[in-house]
Amino acid sequence: VSALRADGFPEAEVRRRARAGAAAAFPPGADYGAALFGAAAGPRGAATDLLDLARLVPPVFMPQRLEKLINLGREPLYSDVDLITDVGGLRSPLPVYVSAFGSTRAASADVGEAVSRQAGRLGLPMVIGENVVALGGYGRTDDAPERSMLRRLRAYREALPDGLGGVAVQQSTEDADAEVWNLVYSDPSARPLLDSGRLAFELKVGQGAKPGIGGMTLVDRGTADRLRAHYPLEPVHGTGELLRSSSPGTYTEEILRQQIRLMRNNFPRARIWVKLPPARDVAAAAALAWRAGADAVTVDGAEGGTGWAPAAFLDHVGLPLGECLLRIGRGDGSLFASGRMWEGSRCVKALALGCRAVGLGRAALLAADEDRADGLERFVRCLALEMKLLISALGRYAPADLEPEDVWLPRDVAAPPSTAAPAGPVDARRP
Amino acid sequence: VTAIELAPDATTAAAPPDLRTHLSAPRTRYAVAVQQAILHAAREYLTGEGFTELLAPVIGPVTDPGARGSKQVDIDYYGHRYKLMTSAILYKQASLLSFGKIFYVAPNVRLEPLETANTARHLAEFHQLDVEIAGASREEATAVVQALVAHAVRRVLDRAAEHLDGLGRDRHALGEVLDAPFELISHREAVRRLHELGHPQDPAAEIDWAGERILSAGARRPFFVTDYPKGSRGFYDRESTTEPGSLRNFDLIAPEGYGELCSGSEREFEYRRMVARMRETGENPAKYGWYLDLVRDGIPASSGFGIGVQRLTRYVAGLDAVWQASMFPKLPGVVSA
Repeated sequence: VSALRADGFPEAEVRRRARAGAAAAFPPGADYGAALFGAAAGPRGAATDLLDLARLVPPVFMPQRLEKLINLGREPLYSDVDLITDVGGLRSPLPVYVSAFGSTRAASADVGEAVSRQAGRLGLPMVIGENVVALGGYGRTDDAPERSMLRRLRAYREALPDGLGGVAVQQSTEDADAEVWNLVYSDPSARPLLDSGRLAFELKVGQGAKPGIGGMTLVDRGTADRLRAHYPLEPVHGTGELLRSSSPGTYTEEILRQQIRLMRNNFPRARIWVKLPPARDVAAAAALAWRAGADAVTVDGAEGGTGWAPAAFLDHVGLPLGECLLRIGRGDGSLFASGRMWEGSRCVKALALGCRAVGLGRAALLAADEDRADGLERFVRCLALEMKLLISALGRYAPADLEPEDVWLPRDVAAPPSTAAPAGPVDARRP
Repeated sequence: VTAIELAPDATTAAAPPDLRTHLSAPRTRYAVAVQQAILHAAREYLTGEGFTELLAPVIGPVTDPGARGSKQVDIDYYGHRYKLMTSAILYKQASLLSFGKIFYVAPNVRLEPLETANTARHLAEFHQLDVEIAGASREEATAVVQALVAHAVRRVLDRAAEHLDGLGRDRHALGEVLDAPFELISHREAVRRLHELGHPQDPAAEIDWAGERILSAGARRPFFVTDYPKGSRGFYDRESTTEPGSLRNFDLIAPEGYGELCSGSEREFEYRRMVARMRETGENPAKYGWYLDLVRDGIPASSGFGIGVQRLTRYVAGLDAVWQASMFPKLPGVVSA
């Protein structure tokens, strides 16, 4: 029995997928021939979410399907879609990675390790979040606390097949005190990943669920005493637990540019990822990051997550993920998106709008929580089947072939008022 | 017991023998004798020029973050996380409040990335001749570097020639140091030369190890590389006020493939500029409390540098690897005495 909940997130569906695998992409098998199906009256879930309002729109005429037919010598099927994708320099069996979990207890100990082991077995790239070292320790000489970085790294690496996957280690402004990147870069346990080009470092510029402010956790009195020297702590909840706040870190264009350059300079053998919050200047920041040499830019939508965040931020702060993707458009580098990714259509819409890959956050955590041994693996099998079905329906046979024209946006979104930037229908935003 | 595997093509010099063999070897004795002559000459020169030798701090709440890719060593200082010095740069600047010209022979510890174990020029524990000069420009600092290195080489040739012969060092090649001033090329020029030679050097980064080896091997005399781009060095290297993005710094590169001997720069000393540079280098200013308190109220402008003692010894003595200049070498990742 798990205590993990995810209000406002399709938790039951995710858990069903973790139990049933690919079968969960369809209505229950017992209904076959016995029930009639149709669209719900309105979109399920958050009716105002741009990506949920959008629809995938297959054409009649499909020149790429003809190419595939010629290539195969037979009519192509959904099973002919090749999902293998270069994810920021890491090779993944599908355009998906496991994004960082917040440092709250939700991602603690066993679940974190179960996610690591299953992601490793699947060869999915995985991000290890900020604060894991600061709060959980690294696990080398500090008596290996349960949630340590090293334990996750090991669980992942031991299961990892050759030639797939890799780990992106996140560092925020305050993690710099613990020198997380330097630690990993010089550690023997990370060496196999480094030597095989499967180590990335992700600079965390901001928080998805609470853009503009830093990371937050609730800590007990004992932990608070240990952290007091480094973090502000406030008894806002009146429960005996204290709210620990990180600073978000200060960025200007020059600060971001130079931090990326310094990462490339200091860690020449690691891939460089940059994680942006859903900020109003997200397009400018992404463009700058790519120019400075980032291998990938991740946009984390204001969609909630595993971290602790004030309700005002969850409901009212930050651009919706879909708007971020429209503003960035087809950029000069690899773009990833995370935020309420749990089923194929939302993922494929994001890919069509310019993303190279999508990140599973809460979905990965819930799936592994449902079944520590195989939950994430079954969940991913279902997602892969859905993606193949959807991509082939659009007459495409690789995720990279998707185009913004594969997505239809409701008219008022597609032609926003001229004050919104940038204006115009989706197609007009292509370079 | 070694914790890492050396590359298959590593030379025998990449791996130290067992400790007894190393300590008993005549080569070790010769190398340390050359080092002794160098240190003696350095002290002779610097004190003669009015420098005060200070004893270097070993631990502190913060240390130099500018060491490329390496990890600092944390120690538990009565429940506070302290660091072993990766370099004493912050203390050097602060010491100028007492003395105008200072130096240390300072021990440093850096947990370097594992692949540096067989570059023949990285040790996790090493020493620097660490010099700081209040009010000095970069040009004045490079002049001190050059005079100091030339004086050390002259003294070694005068007083330790038999040790050089014992090591098989070509005294004539070494003597070329004394012939003329060291050449000075900009980072941009160094990148251009490397590109010409087909080496894909990143123009926005530090000269990489392979690139440095190429430049060094092609030289007959030590030379300076100046004006590194921002984003390749720590926050304390001063950014040019006339060429933003370019730092008023330098490296001294030894010839014959021996590589970098020394890094130095004009220093940032103005509070506002320094805080911005800290952020640009990904640092959290809060942890530099004692230092920023001093800087906010004013510290002298300065230039300074650190010469790697074991690296200079390696070059002067003509050693295959830098560990041969240490009695108890610590190669990155290798568990040893």
